[in-house]
Amino acid sequence: MKRIISMCLSVLLLSACLSACGGKESGSSGPSSQQAVQAGGSEALKGEITFWHCFTQGVRMEAVQAAADSFMKANPEVTVNIETMSWGDFNTKWKAGITTGDLPDMSIAQNTGEVAEMLNAQMLAPIENVVASIGASRFSENALADMTKDGTTYGVPYYSHAQVMWYRQDLLDAAGLDVPKTWDEFLEAAAALTKDGVYGAGVSMSPNDLLCTRYLNYYVRSGGGSLLNDDLTANLTSDLALDGIRFWVDVYSKCSPAETINYTVNDHATMFYQGITAFDFNSGFMISGVASNREDLLDSISCAPLPVMREGDPYYSAETTHIPLVIWKNSKHPEICEAFIQYLFEDDNYIEFLSAVPVGMLPSLTGISDLDAYKTNETVTRFADEAAVITEAVDNGRAIGFEHGPSVQAGLLTSQGIIENMFQDIVTNGTDVAEAAKTAETRLNEIFSTQAE
Amino acid sequence: MDSNKRLKRSAGGIGGSNTTRWFFVLPAMAIVICLLIYPLLSTLVYSFTNKTMTKTTFKVIGLANYINVLKDPAFFAAFGHSLLWTAGSVLGQVIVGFVGALSLNRIKNKKVQNLFRICAIIPWAFPAIATAMVWKWMLNGIYGFIPTALMNLGITGDMPQFLSTSRLAMPTLILINIWFGAPMILVNVFAALQTIPQDQYEAAQIDGATGRQSFVYITAPHIRTVVGLLVVLRTVWVFNNFDMIYMITAGGPAGASSTMPLYIYDTGWTGMMVGKASAASMLLLMFLILLCILYFLVIRRWEKEE
Repeated sequence: MKRIISMCLSVLLLSACLSACGGKESGSSGPSSQQAVQAGGSEALKGEITFWHCFTQGVRMEAVQAAADSFMKANPEVTVNIETMSWGDFNTKWKAGITTGDLPDMSIAQNTGEVAEMLNAQMLAPIENVVASIGASRFSENALADMTKDGTTYGVPYYSHAQVMWYRQDLLDAAGLDVPKTWDEFLEAAAALTKDGVYGAGVSMSPNDLLCTRYLNYYVRSGGGSLLNDDLTANLTSDLALDGIRFWVDVYSKCSPAETINYTVNDHATMFYQGITAFDFNSGFMISGVASNREDLLDSISCAPLPVMREGDPYYSAETTHIPLVIWKNSKHPEICEAFIQYLFEDDNYIEFLSAVPVGMLPSLTGISDLDAYKTNETVTRFADEAAVITEAVDNGRAIGFEHGPSVQAGLLTSQGIIENMFQDIVTNGTDVAEAAKTAETRLNEIFSTQAE
Repeated sequence: MDSNKRLKRSAGGIGGSNTTRWFFVLPAMAIVICLLIYPLLSTLVYSFTNKTMTKTTFKVIGLANYINVLKDPAFFAAFGHSLLWTAGSVLGQVIVGFVGALSLNRIKNKKVQNLFRICAIIPWAFPAIATAMVWKWMLNGIYGFIPTALMNLGITGDMPQFLSTSRLAMPTLILINIWFGAPMILVNVFAALQTIPQDQYEAAQIDGATGRQSFVYITAPHIRTVVGLLVVLRTVWVFNNFDMIYMITAGGPAGASSTMPLYIYDTGWTGMMVGKASAASMLLLMFLILLCILYFLVIRRWEKEE
């Protein structure tokens, strides 16, 4: 009897182990035609999907959760599991998931560069049904082009923003300075404002972020150059790039707190939010940041287009970011993902989401900004001029490195921290600029060749 | 005889038909295989391949990763920083912990002794992220409490940049790690001190032994095995420590505080070169095994002497 019981227990234990080890049943490798039909609404949706996003701030997280809840209410046989994580964790998690199989059904991506990396890993499913359903013409042409490979689109922008120059009008007025239009004027103004506990501008160099790459890209793009060559190798040793490196090292030494050598984007932006820096380069997220840190400064901040190399140079936009929504190839229910994405873009849901960070998250769909529900937002009204400056930059810009079209190299340019390490090396060890640039360029090209094989 | 047979049958003797015992052992075996053997073997295998993070396919490339790693100046810089970080931290922790334990042992009031012991263990009660953030905040070169205090007291002319200069970053991290790790040494050494029979000290006192002689001939021999084991454990933990450095300086500035785990992380996760990172991991593993063997040889010799 005991033997029988022990055998039963063993079998139970084994089955528990096996069931625990077992993953999801194997799914389709992409949306099938039948599933595509279901997405069209002829049959009730049924199934469970997992959505990874990085909207960790309360309001944005709540807006997405509310949309998911109402979507599930409208589709009782659907479950949308939302997993929220930081941007850094997201990047780590999906890359590890390629090997482990732990991937979501749908997710956001940090930018179109990350979508290029996902595409390089061949992990995404086409999203053309969504584009067709919403209408391709309602999306930015550049944004869709950045997520299109061999004629197939793999991502849609959820919201957009672009880099512009933010400044403190009160400090400029007190110093009798105009808003700088060229890089030289910017340096001069930033240096002049570096006094009495205020710093002209921060130059943050943590290799865990992309700020040096971003800043160098501004300078190089303003001179008509690129951080990538036409053959998609890194270009840090052109005269323009070397000038740019020297320029930002100069800004660091004259206008930035020394501490920023280890600062990430959040640390960096917080300085402007708290009134520590007079200038910064960022998107409309600055408004909500200042509002939550120093509301008294809200009337003193404004933004302008990025400085140009010389007075009279043509307008340019150095960096536009579209935050994409993608569907993963491993998803068993791409039809639910497609339906949910369409639901997120429905006017009410979309405006509610955008209103979580007004002006910070600009609509990626045309027509939204004309709706009263959007226009009547207090922040949108108050910062209409700033929104116009950013919108112009969104319309005219692309992601870093995407001037050569979407490529995995463009994504890698910003995710490796190599340019940030180069700046740290120059500042900390006094390494010659040309030598440091050459070393960084070689390191980038080594990674490019490994990943883009 | 019958009862012996029954016992053997119920236990499922070797070569017997009863395989029940294997089902009971299976979960433990699965855990060991999944958590220890599989990662180790996969790291070993990947170290001979061109495996990258975002590709599921890879090919064997022999020793190329090991050659690349050994040609990389950043690897040797990180190795050097690891040695400095480990030696500085462990030595500092042992000295501070040891002195603290001896001092605590001299307190006669048990309540006060317990209070100090609890206070000493407080750093261990906090998660590494909280510890790192608090130190990072206190040492911030713009508004940090410590740099501001040093400047306001006239000790330094301007705000000292503890974490943003290559000269100060690693010593600062070592000091933080000493603060963090010394209590553990303290508590363990203190526990060992409590086991030393007091009559040995009394006998030594009667024989006219000095305090130094009592320490050398009574205290040290009693606790050296404990200290030795603590040093082995702390060496491995500190050498492999990642979170503290990553969260405070991320290995910067310019790699001045980059240790082996950070080098491996940067290579494998950021650079996505899993093969190269695996090769560096295997080299690190070999070094730590060698170090542990040396430590254990010394400890075994001490035990024999006892």
